[in-house]
Amino acid sequence: MAGDRAASIDPDALSWYEATARQRVTALVDPGSFREFLGPTERRMSPHLPLFDLPRAFDDGIVIGRADIAGTPVLLAAQEGRFMGGAFGEVHGGKLVGLLRAALDLKPRAVLILFDTGGVRLQEANAGETAIAEAMRAIVDVRAAGIPVVGLIGGRAGCYGGGGLIAGTCSRLAVSEGGRISVSGPEVIETNKGAEEFDSRDRALVWRTMGGKHRRLTGGADAFCADTVAAFRQAAVALIDRAPAFDLAGLEAEQARLAARIARFGDCRDATEVWARLGVNDPATVPGMDTAAFEAIVARVGEADHDAR
Amino acid sequence: MTEWRGERQARDARIAAGRIHAAGKIVPATAAVDLLEAILRPGDRVCLEGDNQKQADCLARALSACDPEKIHDLHMVQSGIVLPEHLDVFETGIARRLDYSYSGPQGARIARMLYGGQIELGAVHTYLELFARYFVDLTPNVALIAGVSADRDGNLYTGPNTEDTPTVVEATAFKNGVVVAQVNEIVETVPRVDIPGDRIDFVVKADRPFYVEPLFTRDPAAMTETQILIAMMAIKGIYAEYGIRRLNHGIGFGTAAIELLLPTYGEKLGLKGKIATHWALNPHPTLIPAIESGWVKQVHCFGSEVGMDRYIRERPDIFFTGADGSLRSNRAFCQTAGLYACDMFIGATLQIDLMGHSSTITQSRVAGFGGAPNMGSDPHGRRHPTDAWMKAGREGQIVGDPALMRGRKLVVQLVETFGDKLVPTFVETLDALELARKIGLELAPVMIYADDVTHIVTEEGIANLLLCRDADEREQAIRGVAGYTEVGRGRDRAKVEALRARGVIRRPEDLGIEPLDADRALLAAKSIKDLVHWSGGLYEPPARFRNW
Repeated sequence: MAGDRAASIDPDALSWYEATARQRVTALVDPGSFREFLGPTERRMSPHLPLFDLPRAFDDGIVIGRADIAGTPVLLAAQEGRFMGGAFGEVHGGKLVGLLRAALDLKPRAVLILFDTGGVRLQEANAGETAIAEAMRAIVDVRAAGIPVVGLIGGRAGCYGGGGLIAGTCSRLAVSEGGRISVSGPEVIETNKGAEEFDSRDRALVWRTMGGKHRRLTGGADAFCADTVAAFRQAAVALIDRAPAFDLAGLEAEQARLAARIARFGDCRDATEVWARLGVNDPATVPGMDTAAFEAIVARVGEADHDAR
Repeated sequence: MTEWRGERQARDARIAAGRIHAAGKIVPATAAVDLLEAILRPGDRVCLEGDNQKQADCLARALSACDPEKIHDLHMVQSGIVLPEHLDVFETGIARRLDYSYSGPQGARIARMLYGGQIELGAVHTYLELFARYFVDLTPNVALIAGVSADRDGNLYTGPNTEDTPTVVEATAFKNGVVVAQVNEIVETVPRVDIPGDRIDFVVKADRPFYVEPLFTRDPAAMTETQILIAMMAIKGIYAEYGIRRLNHGIGFGTAAIELLLPTYGEKLGLKGKIATHWALNPHPTLIPAIESGWVKQVHCFGSEVGMDRYIRERPDIFFTGADGSLRSNRAFCQTAGLYACDMFIGATLQIDLMGHSSTITQSRVAGFGGAPNMGSDPHGRRHPTDAWMKAGREGQIVGDPALMRGRKLVVQLVETFGDKLVPTFVETLDALELARKIGLELAPVMIYADDVTHIVTEEGIANLLLCRDADEREQAIRGVAGYTEVGRGRDRAKVEALRARGVIRRPEDLGIEPLDADRALLAAKSIKDLVHWSGGLYEPPARFRNW
């Protein structure tokens, strides 16, 4: 049965959704090229969690380091959604911010962020919120230095809260069907606005509102991948090469695009209405489509591809 | 002069009273309360159909809206206490006495009401046992049932969820009772006749389709590696060992994991065609990969499962279907099949004590039994041999003339040593005993009695209780697989090792299983979406199970 375990790091077979952060990193980059910074042996753990009698992780739930992808040097960070929902704490956030700042000196071809997070860790909220702000600031600096920052989203925890904000500052995003991108999570919306507004137990509703297909169709993400590490690798390589410039014209175009979007879709009550207005003939069938059929739809929808970001 | 037709005359009077509210047999939902008030009499025995799956919910709402001045002191004899209305009628006095079987979602409230004396309890039954009593001493005066559609003559189509309906109707209609069916629609011609119209007295056109709970859907995405390890042990140490072909699975994640390991791990062990071919089972979505890869020959179902209808229609070689193409389920027959024609029941439980008694009762909940105690028992009326049954019989009985030996049904408990929220599964004393004392039950609600259990499988190993020769061995065998629970840590190490040497206890390594191989990569489907793909798009999961 040893062969099965070997198969579990085969990029073609390994499900991104199922994989751990370390499995994703190992299978994503060129074999043997990953060098970790502040790895688990250094035990940089959360100073706050013991106060709450909570277990800590030796890497505080994030793996950072350098590697080659298709022969090109990159820096990358991967959040571990299985540890505290991939949430940002002081050390976790510090590692991401440090990696981004190091990019200014190391000048990699790109920085990859493998998001898998519910947002900020409640037990160390101030440090987490600060880290979100610092990470966004650092991404701006990195992008201004001409280094693309590419987010990969397809983990179990999705990309929520501050993670959703950071994703918004990236040059490009790749997402899978299981991936979700948003700020407030389904339960938070339901708690504040009621189940009539958003029923968090209706998982089909959650995914068609926040899931990968919706984000891709509306241009919130720039690539849609099958749920394998190989597909994410292919998307990452392609997106690095297609990263937009980071300048005032780009930001103004993005602002205009978002304003147009709210004007066009602001009164829609369901994602299927948005898709219908985008020109999708039979919106109800979108969630059931396989990757190839969905790509064909995306190719026909003008909204999905733009450099305004 | 003896009156031999009193019941018949009373029935005729009820029907005449009900006809005032009907056009022929058809009654609009708005007149359902009037109809029930016309046909019911105080003190009636009433069967309000509903089990762990479909519910005659429109009629349940109507019954709870009846005037307690007119309708009171009913004796409810029904499979399931599932909807709030099922208990509301006891609060208002419409009903007083209760004989039932299953009360999953209402378990906490029913416990409070029993304790508060609002319900006069007859007994908590298994399904089959309650059905049996419908024909002996709990025959309903009025049955309120649910179907998909009916024609104007009352011919009833129950659709894939036939479940208890034929049994309830049989007992009521042929013993001078009145049968009222709620249906989703009135049609010119029903797709097939599940219940002939002359057994149905009134048809209520329901305000909305009857509710069905998707109780048998387990999301592969939530399966853990511990559950996979336990499933591997069960397949190798029990299914393969005894050559189990005819079986019933419980509804837990452990047995769902077994279903998903058949086409992968089972295939690798060369077991295809040798195990798990004939089933008494609801149409579990997690069985789809095994069906599609040719493992499964035949499945008879208690009820249907939400979202499986199209798939079943396209697989008539596997399932029992009607001339119209849709599933024909039947709870009474399937329970009988599980009892007499299956060689193994395997399922989970919440608590197991030192003797092996098990219960799903916690201190504040009375969940009832449903079908598990019936599936999970050794039928002493069985007379046909199979290799699995005979092998278990030989293991359990080492003395006497072999020709006088009887076989044994395998009854396997598949549990993690710690359950939800790290509550230990193994306990010194079942909570059921304390509950029975508190609410004054004569019998403690034990799901499966110790003498019926043959094996317990946990992540620590398999305990074969058939091979235990006395109570002490049995206790140590149970402690020996109870992991780090208090019960497990209380083991006598030397005795446990001796049991292991005899093969009474077997660890993963004794079975040639490497725990690190218990990987989610082994699951034939890792998500509900994968199940949809396996089904060729025929399985249509309900929204709450979708993440797309």
